[in-house]
Amino acid sequence: MPRYPTAVPAMPQVRRFGAINWVGLWTLYHKEVRRFVKVATQTLLAPLVTTLLYLAIFVLAIGDPAHKIGDVPFRAFLAPGLIMMAMVQNAFANTSSSIMIAKIQGNIVDTLMPPLSPGELTCGFALGGVTRGLAVGLVMWGALTLLLPAAVHNILFVLFHAVAASLMLSLLGIVGGIWAEKFDHLAAVTNFIITPFAFLSGTFYSIGGLPAFWYGVAHLNPFFYMIDGFRYGFTGHADGSLTAGLIVLTVVNLLLWALVYRMFARGYRLKA
Amino acid sequence: MAAPAMPRRYGAVNWRGLWALCLKDLHRAYKSFRYSVLGPVVSNLLFLAIFAVARGSGAYVGDLTFLQFLVPGLVIFAVCETAYSTSSESLLFDKMEGMIADTLMAPLTPTELTIGYACSSAATGLLTGAAVALPMLLVVPLPIASLPLLLFFAAGGAFMHGLLGILVGLWAERWDHHSAALTFIVIPFGYLSGTFYSVASLPALAESVARVNPVFYVIDGFRAASTGHAESPPLVGMVVVALVVLGLGVCARRLFRIGYKLKP
Repeated sequence: MPRYPTAVPAMPQVRRFGAINWVGLWTLYHKEVRRFVKVATQTLLAPLVTTLLYLAIFVLAIGDPAHKIGDVPFRAFLAPGLIMMAMVQNAFANTSSSIMIAKIQGNIVDTLMPPLSPGELTCGFALGGVTRGLAVGLVMWGALTLLLPAAVHNILFVLFHAVAASLMLSLLGIVGGIWAEKFDHLAAVTNFIITPFAFLSGTFYSIGGLPAFWYGVAHLNPFFYMIDGFRYGFTGHADGSLTAGLIVLTVVNLLLWALVYRMFARGYRLKA
Repeated sequence: MAAPAMPRRYGAVNWRGLWALCLKDLHRAYKSFRYSVLGPVVSNLLFLAIFAVARGSGAYVGDLTFLQFLVPGLVIFAVCETAYSTSSESLLFDKMEGMIADTLMAPLTPTELTIGYACSSAATGLLTGAAVALPMLLVVPLPIASLPLLLFFAAGGAFMHGLLGILVGLWAERWDHHSAALTFIVIPFGYLSGTFYSVASLPALAESVARVNPVFYVIDGFRAASTGHAESPPLVGMVVVALVVLGLGVCARRLFRIGYKLKP
């Protein structure tokens, strides 16, 4: 009787996958989503409270229910802007904080070592951010419809701009998260770039009320087009050109996607 | 033969220790200057710009325009929010990093700990408030109706929130707790108590709720001391603010004394 088993177990094989590593992509996406669902108080409830506060402040301070922008009552004008602002801030926060924390704690290697291509990394992180943005948007929309008239004028515009804006800010968040070396850097990007762009892009007012120079500047701001198109989807009122908005958002998203892809491919600030 | 080292003696108050504790948090705020001071400056200027465009410059209450009404509210709330964050973040950070032992081992009484943390956070809040106020005053000039009252309410708001930050910093175990207290308590209390609008414009029930809130008296008193437009008697405001500061101070001192979540 042989002392050792003669049957040698088969050598473990290299796992094969096709052009896309679906299991890996799904795992990365799943991780990104579970990250924010686990702290839903901070990621869904807190933005809701903040948005309702802004709503209360603006409705009380601007008062006057008769105040209209074009032929849209101020409250109906405000609601889509508030929803969009919460969506973009959360989409940005999701990807930027995920990468930043992973870099600081050193567990970014667990994302870089698996067989994920730059395209799959980009896709996984970005879709996680988009999911957070859309989830926040849905919560806001649910809460605001209870308080405000929020009939939907054109659902396709609502959906396109919600997805395009969340994607754009998720990609920006990846860029910010990879670039930043300390939390201070990330806070600076949020405080000095994202928030001003979001606040000054017609969230709270019609850019028609701006002086001529700033009116021109507002048209160069991609944030303006996403709020404007999103608002058109709800109210049927647009401050700028909708076609220009569709083109600007598509082009900006493509450029950011290419930038993020390149950052992952080169390992910028990720690999030695 | 060298004399053996004697224990250091101090009188009723350990002034040097108190001063060192105050300086520690001021240094910390100074190190993150861009983030802790310029952040509020930018976000408050944004609020000002948004309201200037969305609301225009018509009359609002009394003989004040809306922007004249808004600026004191923004400034005092920046003071309060920064004061809260300074003490709360300092305590929580030290607790999480294990450095809090260095503060607890030092020969500081609970009273000195309370005063030290409260003073440094109040000072950071007041400096941030000044930084927020300066650029705004270039755009919206404002008088000072009464300097002593202005200083009283600014300091009152700063100490109130600095002490509140101590309580939250001691209670909190994770960053979530700190930001939950900020998002669900400090900011709503401030925003809904007349930072942005006159509480007289609220429905009757909401107005009486706002008037129970001590932050309302801080904001209203500060605004009255600057613009002269008061929505509550200044004496009531002073008494409420003084009592709340005192009450919070007693609570904070008690928590330090029993070592709440600090000592086993």
